[in-house]
This record gives sequence, C-alpha cells and structure tokens, in this order.
Amino acid sequence: MIEPIFLLEAAVNGILLSGVLALLALGLNLIFGVVDIVWIAYVDLVMVCMYLVYFLVMVYGWPLWLAGLGSLALGALLGLGVHLLIITPILGSAPVNQLLATGGLLFFLQSFATFLWTTDHKTVRLALPILEVGGMFLSFVRLIAFVISLLAMLGLWVFLRRTYIGTAIRAVSQDREAMALMGANPQYVYLVTSAIGGAMAGLAGALLVIQYSVHPFFGAAFGPLTFMICVLGGLGNMVGAFVAAVVMSEIISIGGVVISTEMGYVIAFVVFIVMMFVRPGGLLVRRG
Amino acid sequence: MRTLRTMLLALGGAAVLIAAPVSRADAQGQTIKIGVLYDHTGPFSAAGSLNCWRGAKMIIDYVNERGGVLGKYKIVQVDGDSQSKAEVAINEAERLLNVEKVDILAGVYSSAHAVPLAEKVDKQKRFLWITTAISSKVFDGRNLQYTFRPQPTGTQFGELSVEYVADYSQDRFKKAPKDLRLAIIYEDGAYGTDVALGNELKAKELGLNVVLKEGYSINAPDLSSLVTKLRAARPDVLYHTGYNPDISLFLRQAKEQGLRLRAYIGHGAGHSQLDKLKEAFGKDVEFFHTLDPIASQLLDPKKLKPGVGDLTAEMVKRYKTQYDANAPTAAIAPHVSMGFNNLYVLLSDVLPRAIQKHGGFGPDALAAAARETDIPDGGTMQGYGVKFYPPGHRFAGQNQRAFPAVFQIIEGKFELVYPKTVATAQPVLPLPASSPFALR
Repeated sequence: MIEPIFLLEAAVNGILLSGVLALLALGLNLIFGVVDIVWIAYVDLVMVCMYLVYFLVMVYGWPLWLAGLGSLALGALLGLGVHLLIITPILGSAPVNQLLATGGLLFFLQSFATFLWTTDHKTVRLALPILEVGGMFLSFVRLIAFVISLLAMLGLWVFLRRTYIGTAIRAVSQDREAMALMGANPQYVYLVTSAIGGAMAGLAGALLVIQYSVHPFFGAAFGPLTFMICVLGGLGNMVGAFVAAVVMSEIISIGGVVISTEMGYVIAFVVFIVMMFVRPGGLLVRRG
Repeated sequence: MRTLRTMLLALGGAAVLIAAPVSRADAQGQTIKIGVLYDHTGPFSAAGSLNCWRGAKMIIDYVNERGGVLGKYKIVQVDGDSQSKAEVAINEAERLLNVEKVDILAGVYSSAHAVPLAEKVDKQKRFLWITTAISSKVFDGRNLQYTFRPQPTGTQFGELSVEYVADYSQDRFKKAPKDLRLAIIYEDGAYGTDVALGNELKAKELGLNVVLKEGYSINAPDLSSLVTKLRAARPDVLYHTGYNPDISLFLRQAKEQGLRLRAYIGHGAGHSQLDKLKEAFGKDVEFFHTLDPIASQLLDPKKLKPGVGDLTAEMVKRYKTQYDANAPTAAIAPHVSMGFNNLYVLLSDVLPRAIQKHGGFGPDALAAAARETDIPDGGTMQGYGVKFYPPGHRFAGQNQRAFPAVFQIIEGKFELVYPKTVATAQPVLPLPASSPFALR
C-alpha cells in the first residue's frame, strides 16, 4: 500500500503536468474554434520554437526570458505563415483535405528539422533548485511553467473578453457566416487568431524546452495527448480543454502511482473513449 | 495452344526468378548487394542506430578499398531507413529484399523491429545478419535457418548487471546480496522487456530482493509517477533499460523529485551515448553504469588476435575523420563498434567461405557458411568469439560466444569495470556523495 504522502505528491505533479498540456491545447483550440481547421502539425510548430530557444540560450548565450520572447515572436510568425500559405488556399475544401494538408506540414517540419539539426536530442541545461515541501518533491521547472501557463490563459481570456478584436474573434467562432454578412473581414480575424495561436505554441515551446530535450520527433509524445485533451474538452472550448487537461493529467499521475505507469496511460485513454460515447461534444457541453 | 504454352513457360520462369533469387555471383559476377537497415530518423537514430550505420558504412568502405570480399567482390551498399518504427522497418526490408534485390539484409538496431522482421525474412528464405538488436525473442524457440546474430542477448545484459552488483554487494555496499533492494524499470518494447527479464531471473537465482519492476512507454510525456513510486520503494540499486529521450526525461524528473540511490545501472542504447548524456546532464551522470559489448577501442589489442587491433585503429581513425574530429577516443559509442565489427565478421569470415566452399552468396550458401563460423574468444574487435547455435537449438542462429561487459563513467570516460577478468578499472561503488543521486 502506497503511503498517503506519495499519493499527494502524485496529485500535485498531476496538476503541474496539466498546466503544460492545457497550454498546448489552448492555442490549438483557439485556432480550431475560429478557423474551424485542426492543425495536426501544431505540436511540431512547438518543436521548431523549442529549437529556437535552445540555440538562442545554449549557442548565443541569450537569457532564457529573452529567448522565450523570441520564441513567442517566431510562433506568431509561424502561425501567420501557416495560415497564409497552407490554410487560406484550402479554407473551403473538404475537412479530410484540410487534415491531409496540415498532416503534410507535420511530415515536412519533422523532415526539415532532421535535415537542419539531425536527430540528436538537444537539451537546455538549467541549474534550478529542488523544491521539497513537507516531504514531497515538486519540480521547480514545472511549477514555473504551470504559473506562466495560468497567466497566459488568463491573459488570453482577458484579451478575448475585453478587446475589440477579441470580441470579433469570439463572434467569428460563434457564427462565421453571420460575421461575413455584417461586413466584417473574417480573413483579418483568422490572421490575428493564427498569430495568437502560433504565439501560444511559441510560449509552450519556451516552457517545454526547459523540461524536455528537443528532437525532430518531439510531437510524437505530446501530439496525440494534446488532441485527446482538445476533443475531450470539446473542440474550440477553451475552459473545457483546461478541465480535460486536469482530468487526464491526474489520471496519468495518480493511476501511475497506484497501479503502474503504463496503466495510468491506459486508464486515461479508456476514460477518453468512454467519454466520447457518453459526451461526444466534450466534457462541458450540455446534453440535449 | 502455343500461346498458352508460351504464357505458362513465362509464368513458370517468373515464379522461379521470384522464388529462388540467383546470387549475383552467378548472374553478374563481381558485386554483392547488401541492404543496410538502420534508423536514420526518429528517436532511435540518436540513441545509437546512426552510430551503428556509421560503423557499417566504414567497414564496407574499408573492404571495398581493398578490392572487396576476397579481393574481387565489391560490396554495393543499399541503405534503408526504419524511421524508428517497426512497420516501416518491415516495409523497408521488403523493399531492400524484393525491389532492390539485395543478396544480404544486415543491420537492425531495435529489438522491436528485429523480432517481427527476423521471422518474416526467414520465412522468405533470405539471409539476415543482425548487428545490434539484442532481444532473446528474436531467436527463442523459433529455429530460424537464415538469421544470424554475432551480438549478445538482452537476457545476458540483464543477468550480468545483477551478477555485478551481487559480486560487490558485501565488499562495497556492506550488505549481504539478499539484503539489497533492487528496482527494475524498462521501456516496454522487446528490448527493455528482455533485459528486465534477465535482471529479474538472475536476481531470483541469486536471492536478491526486487522491490519494484515496472515498464513504461518510450513516448510517455511524463514519468514523474514512476519516480514517485521508486522513492516509495526505496531501492538501493536501480536497473534501467531505455532508449532516448525517455532516459533524459526520467533522469531530469528523478533529479527534481529527489530520487536517491546507491547505484544506477543502465543497459546500452541511450545509456551508452556518453556524449549525449554529458551534454544533457554534465557531471550528474558521473558514476552511472552501462552494459554493452565492449567498444573495441577500450580493449587492449595485445590480448586479442594479431591484426584485430589494427582494425580498431582504422575504425577510430575513420570515425574521427568522417564524423567527429573532436571525439575523445574512449567516448566513441560502442554502437560504432557493433556496426563495424559485426559486419566485418560477415565480410571477412562468412562471405569468403560461402563463395569458396558453398558456391556463391545465395541464402543457403551463406547460412551454411555461417554455421561453420568458429572464431575463438579474442578473435574479433569486441573481444568475443563467434560460433552460432546450430539448427534445432532453442537459440539457433545466436552467437554463443558473445558477451557484454559493465562500464562505469569515471572522470567523464567509460571505464571497463566488470567482469573482473577483463576489467581495466575498479568500480566506484556506492555512488559517492558528489553525485546528486547519491543516497545520503
């Protein structure tokens, strides 16, 4: 029987993990909610931003916070680029074609990263303190990432609620046809949304590279989980994504300690499948 | 009627061509086509697969520069990329065998690829030479006829690492072996499972106490729950079998979550890529262990067959010239030796005998020649001899003379610390206080 202190530690670690996953899901969900296209390659954009932070910090000696801002800017640029070059031409296409196009981008980014930076794992080494609270050990890096993730989510919420363009974004996400009929320019809204979604990828990249080694296939670890969280929370539903991230992370973390690491993930996936039957529209969608 | 007969003849001819590929010696004369299958992309690439390919390429170049096998059969190397995915490995093997029409399929880094691949290739009666993948499951009870592996098995890795700890238990840990607490964690593919089984069986045989045995997926984005569980189990010694980046993730989280041990023992793959470990963790990995067949450059050439040491010098020279001029000689990963040495056994021993004694380099001639291989201990660059278990044996096709060894990172270099008979340095046990992972 596992001691309660270790269970508590697992629960807290689950919360910290959920911050990272929620941040990944947030940008993806924002873009889907507005543009109505799932960017399969989203986590691979994060990977490119991670490389930028790695090179800025480890090769050019930039401070991490400045490299993080660079990552945010690169993410926004990538978001704009993806929308203009890949999404715009296929906006009216069948969903399967849109999926294939962003899937193609995924393979392009992985191959391009392999070509440029080889398959080596690159690590940003930080000497951070070990956090011990009442016999529990918590990851300091994860705590920082969790707090910044929360602040970013709050910032996004304020932006969407309190600014003119934020209101326009919400309006498009609720009824894109009506917005066009009222004379608004959806392309402008799409571009702003893609840039913000991309910047979120940049922020996630900066927070992930201090926790994980980056390599061209980084997306394989986080891509499936991120999509599951988006779907479980309800595609386009940002609060739902956050709740889903907490639920999945806690199942993985506590399930891993109580049963086994493998079973933690198995249970999370089973819960996901069951929820797809019970609440196909997402955790927070009202039934009927 | 005549048209029908012509068609039947043509079909029959095609069937013969497909079913019994003629060795190129008979058909064209002077080239032998070898399909070299490793992972050039995906996580396995940096975890040793690319280094294996480098070794294989260097030895093929070396042999070709000397006129080829027997001085006249040039090797044509055709590369395949398994992309760190089993299904891609199988497709690439099919392409190499049936589209590129290679005479020999060689390489294979991952056990997860080798286990399904060996059976499929063997059923096609084509010759497969595995240089790297170590899972016992590749051969166990399958009685493969055309698949051979000079490399030791995963079970041997797992057993030796437990023997090592048991041997030093009283002397260094000041505990009887039965009082030591062991934890075994492993990636849950064919490689990790096999090594972990070796750990567990040997621990049981020697009466050591396994307090936790748990697998995980190499793609798991979080291993903090595993670290928590390990802390709860309070092991003295941690046995870990993994690739990369799972090892990096685990070590980061283990350090952050205060995992403390008396010894840390990895088993090849990511644990043997010293340059990558040091880049990611600096001095934190000092005094960690790994098991692998011995990297050739770490062996004393005087203890090997005359001439073998020159080959090692050639490998080191080429590696530095072609891939990493600044690599300290001792830090060149053992995977380079696996590609270089194990392919050299094929090119210098099996192939010449197949051509001279068995009439060519078709699968049957190669298999017959491989079964006659009899290289004594000290006869290869990695120190082991080569003799394959015969047909009908539980491990038919596996080299019965191969053995791994235990290495420890001491002052930033891999030192050979076990078995005692070949050790070149004394192990540092338990982890000294300078290690952030040391039990205090």
